[in-house]
Amino acid sequence: MIHDEVLVFSKTWGALYLFVVFFAAVIWIYWPSKRKGYDDAAKWPLREDDKPCK
Amino acid sequence: MTKITENITALICSLLVLITGAIVVLYTSETGFLLHGWLMIFFSAWAVLTVVRRMNRPLEPKSLEYNDEVIKWGVLGCLFWGIIGFTVGDVLAWQLAYPDLNGDLPWTNFGRIRPIHTTAVIFGFAGNALMSTSFYVVQRTSRARLAGGYLGWLVFGGYNLFVLLAVTGYPLGITQGREYAEPEWYADILLLIVWLGYFWIYMRTLARRTEPHIYVANWYYLAFIVVIAMLHIVNNLVVPFGLEYTKSYSLFSGVQDAMTQWWYGHNAAGFFLTAGFLGMVYYFLPKAANRPIYSYRMSIVGFWGITFLYLWVGSHHLHYTALPDWVQILGMTMSVILIVPSWASVFNAILTLNGAWDKVRTDPAIRFMMVAVLFYGLTTFEGSFMAIKPVNSLSHYTDWTIGHVHAGALGWVAFITFGSMYKMVPWIWKRDGVYSIRLEAWHFWLALTGTFIYVGAMWNSGITQSLMWQTYDGEGNFLYSFMDSVDAMHGYYIARAIGGLLYLIGALIGAYNIYMTVQGPRKAPQQSNNLPVAAGE
Repeated sequence: MIHDEVLVFSKTWGALYLFVVFFAAVIWIYWPSKRKGYDDAAKWPLREDDKPCK
Repeated sequence: MTKITENITALICSLLVLITGAIVVLYTSETGFLLHGWLMIFFSAWAVLTVVRRMNRPLEPKSLEYNDEVIKWGVLGCLFWGIIGFTVGDVLAWQLAYPDLNGDLPWTNFGRIRPIHTTAVIFGFAGNALMSTSFYVVQRTSRARLAGGYLGWLVFGGYNLFVLLAVTGYPLGITQGREYAEPEWYADILLLIVWLGYFWIYMRTLARRTEPHIYVANWYYLAFIVVIAMLHIVNNLVVPFGLEYTKSYSLFSGVQDAMTQWWYGHNAAGFFLTAGFLGMVYYFLPKAANRPIYSYRMSIVGFWGITFLYLWVGSHHLHYTALPDWVQILGMTMSVILIVPSWASVFNAILTLNGAWDKVRTDPAIRFMMVAVLFYGLTTFEGSFMAIKPVNSLSHYTDWTIGHVHAGALGWVAFITFGSMYKMVPWIWKRDGVYSIRLEAWHFWLALTGTFIYVGAMWNSGITQSLMWQTYDGEGNFLYSFMDSVDAMHGYYIARAIGGLLYLIGALIGAYNIYMTVQGPRKAPQQSNNLPVAAGE
């Protein structure tokens, strides 16, 4: 494979790959049913207990 | 791990370092390597004695508390290396203003002292801060005691031995000559082993968590641990000249070597000095302000944005070099896009403070954190801007770069560290609060003034340099010689050294304040707030 072919490959498929990964991540994060879990997690640092469960 | 296997593992690891040190002392003929052999022997002999003394004690029952002991030593390491790093940095600043101060000796030359400054602040100060806060955060957010028992101590001890080997080697000329990756092959192997131990502790503690979800701060800390391991291995692929010599040669050559180095170099900024510290922000800021993160989901989008984009931007350090154009443009483009997740984190942190802005006024620790986030926003904007090729043709090789780095290091990394330390120290030592809020405020204002003077001076001197180097007369000849531009820097360099001095004084006050906090009385046992009000009478 010569340099120019690598270049074209990375410009097309590389860009597409990054877009797909980005949208997949955003959809996964903003999926409505996951909201409650995230809202709970956001409150964890505010817990007062200072003992581990295990 | 049971206590007995823990003890034996710790003993074996310490003995291995001891034996390595002894072999080095026996076989090397280099002064620097000999010194390092003895350092390894002293360090590990002390560890062996400690372990043996502990083995003689009766076995204690399994602790039901969080393991904060090793974190306390991390705080000490952070402050120790911080003071050394800031002091050496300011000495260097005065050397640049008055070159006679370099002492005219090979060991005190700017080129040999500078890596002491960068290693002490990045690996010593920031590294110990990251290690100690990450151990604190992973335990609290997982509600699990730190895994590995003794391993935490080995990681802490081994890591600080690495920093010690690094900074003591530079004056003697032991260096790979790779910026921020100066330590030679044997110190690199030590760091690699230590880092795998760090990774293991982190993963094991996460595996013991009691919640199904992993809190976002741990994502950032974990990205820092994993990516640094990867960078460290690839950028230090070298062939030693011989096992009894310190010198080694890189496996790469030419522009590939330069690209590997700056892939490492910029990701050290991206994952050591950014991702890990964002982990700190996402735990200590909500905790201190008593407000949940403004948008938890945005913090995760930001995480994927930062981890995906940072890995591509290293080539912006090599604009207009032998590096192929498309790689330069790729680095430039990714650097510009990187502003989006960076500023998402900035807004997320600032909006978290909504409803708690009164605390920014009254609590210097929260003020430290807020200013840190603002400097993070400033530095990431500036970084994206400087990565654009035409801007880079102006800024590269000038003091503007130094100003940019210090806006990030002084304003962002150290401010978030100090803010978090002022909160974490009373928590882990179980004190009511910091010894003196007034001193904390003094530290804040000295550090802020110092940073502004430093960064302002470097912006001015950088742009002056750049313009002087690019001024031509009608026939295309340079109007100024290089020495003219050096002369023009004198005033700015004095200003920079004064800014650094203020910063150092602030840090000394901070260290004193933290020392007095630790010396102070313990917190009174907590009273229950559940009693009805009338019952108190």
